[in-house]
Amino acid sequence: MRKFRININGKSYEVEVEEIISQVPSTVSSSGIQTAVSETAASKAPTTRQSAATHSAPKMETNEEHSRKNTAGKTGSIKVNSPMPGTILDIRVNAGARIKKGQVVLILEAMKMENEIMAPQDGIITSIDTNIGASVNSGDLLFTMEVN
Amino acid sequence: MSTYQKIMELQDKKISIQQSGGQYKIDKQHKSGKLTARERIEKLVDPGSFVEIDAFVTHRCSDFGMNNENTPADGVITGYATIDNRPVYLYSQDFTVKGGSLGEMHAKKVIKVMDMAMKMGCPIIGINDSGGARIQEGVDSLSGYGEIFYRNSMASGVIPQISVILGPCAGGAVYSPALTDFIFMVDNISKMFITGPQVVEAATGEKVTDEELGGSTAHCQISGVAHFKYSSEEECFAGIRALLSYLPQNNLEDALYYECKDDLNRLEPVLNSIIPDNPNKSYDVKEIIRLIVDNGTFLEVQSLFAQNIVIGFARLNGRPIGIVANQPKIKAGALDIDASDKAARFIRFCDCFNIPIVTLTDVPAFLPGVDQEHNGIIRHGAKLLYAYAEATVPKINVILRKAYGGAYIAMSSKHLGTDLVFAWPTAEIAVMGPEGAANIIFRKQIEESNDPISTRQEKIKEYRDRFSNPYIAAARGYIDDVIEPEATRPRLISALEILQSKRESRPPKKHGNIPL
Repeated sequence: MRKFRININGKSYEVEVEEIISQVPSTVSSSGIQTAVSETAASKAPTTRQSAATHSAPKMETNEEHSRKNTAGKTGSIKVNSPMPGTILDIRVNAGARIKKGQVVLILEAMKMENEIMAPQDGIITSIDTNIGASVNSGDLLFTMEVN
Repeated sequence: MSTYQKIMELQDKKISIQQSGGQYKIDKQHKSGKLTARERIEKLVDPGSFVEIDAFVTHRCSDFGMNNENTPADGVITGYATIDNRPVYLYSQDFTVKGGSLGEMHAKKVIKVMDMAMKMGCPIIGINDSGGARIQEGVDSLSGYGEIFYRNSMASGVIPQISVILGPCAGGAVYSPALTDFIFMVDNISKMFITGPQVVEAATGEKVTDEELGGSTAHCQISGVAHFKYSSEEECFAGIRALLSYLPQNNLEDALYYECKDDLNRLEPVLNSIIPDNPNKSYDVKEIIRLIVDNGTFLEVQSLFAQNIVIGFARLNGRPIGIVANQPKIKAGALDIDASDKAARFIRFCDCFNIPIVTLTDVPAFLPGVDQEHNGIIRHGAKLLYAYAEATVPKINVILRKAYGGAYIAMSSKHLGTDLVFAWPTAEIAVMGPEGAANIIFRKQIEESNDPISTRQEKIKEYRDRFSNPYIAAARGYIDDVIEPEATRPRLISALEILQSKRESRPPKKHGNIPL
């Protein structure tokens, strides 16, 4: 059993990692969230004293309410892409929601700024193509919508 | 023929010329939602002020059956008029005469008004509505285009040049507007492209409509070719008149001074709370602009393109100024390729025409990314530095919040020759943001700590308290004063007054070599 302190979006989590066998995804229990870690602790686990500040947190998929299931397999004709590389901090609306032009759909944290990504038109959100906590690159699809 | 008959003959000829391509073609023009070349001039200028020249000019081509073709005014109306009682020269292409195509004499008429505008030192406005080169006239038509482009280049920085696209403007013809200072477009009417949809499809297989390829949205929002977008021709003409009110007649004059009815000493307490306490939150810089300038009137240029930087004209104490401001709401206000290009060209325009530049800075950085690097953010960002350094008009900067690293230097810093740099108490002037800086400077302490996260937070706070303020830069004189936000308007007005008499010369040279 190893203990890590992982910093996600400014919140500190104490994570206990139990080694079972190599090359099999392990389940990690942490204070508050259930996450699947794709990398086993065994091979790459840092030595005990390595600090969380320099050790980048492993890539995680937070399988919570805002998942790709949100899309219901449809995509809208208006595609909104990420204007720059960053992290999705919050998703304010769900697929199917009716929104007004200029309404905030999601928050992209980039350049240490919470950037509001807004709807370019009045309409209905067809799909949310990203998750909270996801790292996105400039040009990645964030959401699609349809003018009603 | 008696004198009376001769006068009648003259009147008949003029009436016939004014009928352009005939009623059928005029109706067709109206049906496609467009005004005619003459109607456009009437709606743009002061009523009754237009004086036509060269109305009798016609083509002299005899090939391909052209000898029997009548081309009234050879497809372009030229002359001079007044807008707000100030003279302008203009030409307006007439789509009802051979599709507004440009032949030898058509070009000669345009050239003549351009030359006159240069001699008299008046702005020139070109209304473009043309199918392109008049193919029957061959190389004479190409020569015409070339001579117009040459004059656009010669007039650049001498007289304001405005292009209005009110119809097709395709092929080589696009380069005359491209060489001018401002391009106006109207939804569903204006089309600009090097090659039209058919050629694009033949060459690349891409299917695209002409509006998608070269309409007002394409050029005002995506390509940045055009500057102003309107939904009707009437609104477009009002926009041109508004723009001209901020511009001088030529590079040797100052722009018009209007008596300022707004309070010069107006304090705006709202400004004291407009910057969010959390540095990660954004705000709309346009609100700040409107609170500072006379009567809240701000004419934004390229409002849809590269929105992470805001540019435009306003007045302070009745005198026109050019404003350049980072927009934290879009892309965190970071400088990218498009934003650098947009601001640099605007700064150079203001410098050409003696318009002082007021900069509002809140910039986290040049935008990082492979895409930005590979597309030349170095080359494009350099334009911004060059433009600020080169400008000799009065330059004032107000640092509202972030001013980090290279982007701090680029945004009208003292180091690039800005005359007066002010900072709000919320300003953070440093090499980088506290998070990044703490990670580097205090790396060891953070690594060796038992509780790295709280140590890191402590160090970030320590760095923020110590360096994220305007006082270190002010202690070196890089900032001339730290001012209360509410007093920004009176402070800017007084700064502009004292800078009125600014004289600054540059070493004699043919011209600089701006990184293009």
